[in-house]
Amino acid sequence: MEIKKMNEQENTLEIKNLVIHYISDEEVVKAVNGVDIIIKAGKTLGLVGETGAGKTTTALSILNLVPEPQGKILSGEVLLEGRSVLTMSELELEEIRGDKVAMIFQDPMTSLNPVHTVGAQIAESIEIHRKVSKEEALKQAKEMLELVGIPGERSNEYPYQFSGGMKQRVVIAIALTCSPDLLIADEPTTALDVTIQAQVLKLINELRRKYHMSMLMITHDLGIVAEVCDEVSIAYAGRIVEHGTLEDIFDNLRHPYTKGLFDALPDIEIRRSELKPIKGLMPDPTNLPSGCPFHPRCDYVMEVCSQSLPENKWLSETHCVQCHLYKDTNESRL
Amino acid sequence: MDEVVKKYTTRKEFFKQYKKKSRLQETWNRFLRNKMAVIGLFIFIFIVLVAITAPIIANYDTEAIKINVPNRLKAPSTEHIFGTDEMGRDIMARIVHGARISLVVGFASVALALFIGGALGAIAGYYGGKIDDVIMRCMDVFLCLPDVLLALAIVAAFGTNLVNMTIAIGLSFTPKFSRVVRSAVMTVRGIEYVEAARAIGSTNTHIITNHVLINCFGPIVVQVTLYVASAILTISALSFIGLGIQAPIPEWGNMLASGRAYMRDHAYIVMAPGLAIFVTILSLNLLGDGLRDALDPRLK
Repeated sequence: MEIKKMNEQENTLEIKNLVIHYISDEEVVKAVNGVDIIIKAGKTLGLVGETGAGKTTTALSILNLVPEPQGKILSGEVLLEGRSVLTMSELELEEIRGDKVAMIFQDPMTSLNPVHTVGAQIAESIEIHRKVSKEEALKQAKEMLELVGIPGERSNEYPYQFSGGMKQRVVIAIALTCSPDLLIADEPTTALDVTIQAQVLKLINELRRKYHMSMLMITHDLGIVAEVCDEVSIAYAGRIVEHGTLEDIFDNLRHPYTKGLFDALPDIEIRRSELKPIKGLMPDPTNLPSGCPFHPRCDYVMEVCSQSLPENKWLSETHCVQCHLYKDTNESRL
Repeated sequence: MDEVVKKYTTRKEFFKQYKKKSRLQETWNRFLRNKMAVIGLFIFIFIVLVAITAPIIANYDTEAIKINVPNRLKAPSTEHIFGTDEMGRDIMARIVHGARISLVVGFASVALALFIGGALGAIAGYYGGKIDDVIMRCMDVFLCLPDVLLALAIVAAFGTNLVNMTIAIGLSFTPKFSRVVRSAVMTVRGIEYVEAARAIGSTNTHIITNHVLINCFGPIVVQVTLYVASAILTISALSFIGLGIQAPIPEWGNMLASGRAYMRDHAYIVMAPGLAIFVTILSLNLLGDGLRDALDPRLK
């Protein structure tokens, strides 16, 4: 199976020009405004951005789980191994969810049902997709627990008997039971403390390699990106403002926003140095600024920035940036 | 720190003290702290036991039904604890057998209301939007009519017997349950584990029954106890005005109605059924209030 996947170098996930707005009676929240994402088989893409950049909404669209009835997918395509997710029937979607695409949720405290044992919750996914008996599913659930480093006999216990880190392991076990082709990790470590974060990341990484899965890692922690990702997309106000390989982003960053993100990191070498935050706040998604949405906060703002939206500019095979600074040059202007 | 650890022989034991008690255990402990609720529970258990053992306490045909004119209107004595009624029947026997009807019809009608109203409320709350609007506006129409009036209309239309009465009361309570279940479902629906269940490909039906409703257990249990009390009261009210359980069959409401004429000279004749209704309703209300407080974590 592994060899087969290696050979077909196709894209596990392709998102093209996705636009999602949340429409209510009072206002329109422009959550996602034209996102393009490609994840190659077996690769990990990091989707980085501030709160409200549309990361989670993008992820939910892959499972066609954008909250209804407010969430409206206005345009765009989501192709999962070449099949369009957005046009699938509910029945087809149920087959894909958990089997082809699985999701690790942000908060393990609320993503496990308090009234079922952890074993039963892992077994649920196996029962649905593998069509096996309840006993068999529970047996496999135990094996999954062992795999994420929890003794199998604890499968009869309830979520409240587990610590936060262990709960997140259970959530990971649920996501991995049917060895999906694409794993979506929506800030899997934000609810955990730092030492547990490292363990959980290591676990996700190991298992991902073992089963040769593709992964979409949503995070706002650049450290995590450096640790687990092959490629990075920087999201701002529902757009991908810069995309590239790890080297492109970490060593040759081009977009002022990406630079702002890196400048805002504390430096362990110079302990006295003050943090340099990006000035201003994330724009209100109901009322985005004209032109480039980042221009009110940008240090390199030009006249054109408030007038028109920058196009995608490919600087190399892998590196793409959305900024007026690079209209006629590929060299860094930061 | 070392001394603290020494007290417990192993690390495992040291951490055991932090192990949380189960939620059910915690709720139960909180319930036990509420004295009135415990009293309510005991009275209710007593009433249920009486209803179950009714045939042992008094023979239905010879003591509760058979007319025995020479024995009529006897005041309470050791032989007849609550006295005898205008037909010479032992009031105690009739109360005890009446409890069976009240409890069975009370619970059956609430079960019916819970089943229909719960299903409609769960669908409305889970799917929301237009489905919610249609279901809840229909329920609102029913909610406009007072329960007793609605039950009365149904009984009047289909005739008075036990089954019709259960259905009548059950239907008149349906909209209330649909509201309760809907609001409980709407709170649970937003929690991440429901989304997580969708993300692994569970069907909506499976999610509603297995993930959502099971977490709405608390508010539903409270409403069930409170509405059983209300149902028992409705049965008695209907029987009192002659549209419920009919004459020879002992029922608290119709006992009150038939005893009314003799109330001046023989007060005990209405005292017993009145007290029976009062105590039953009181116990269920105390129980329901206690459960509500125990299940509400804010009142810890």
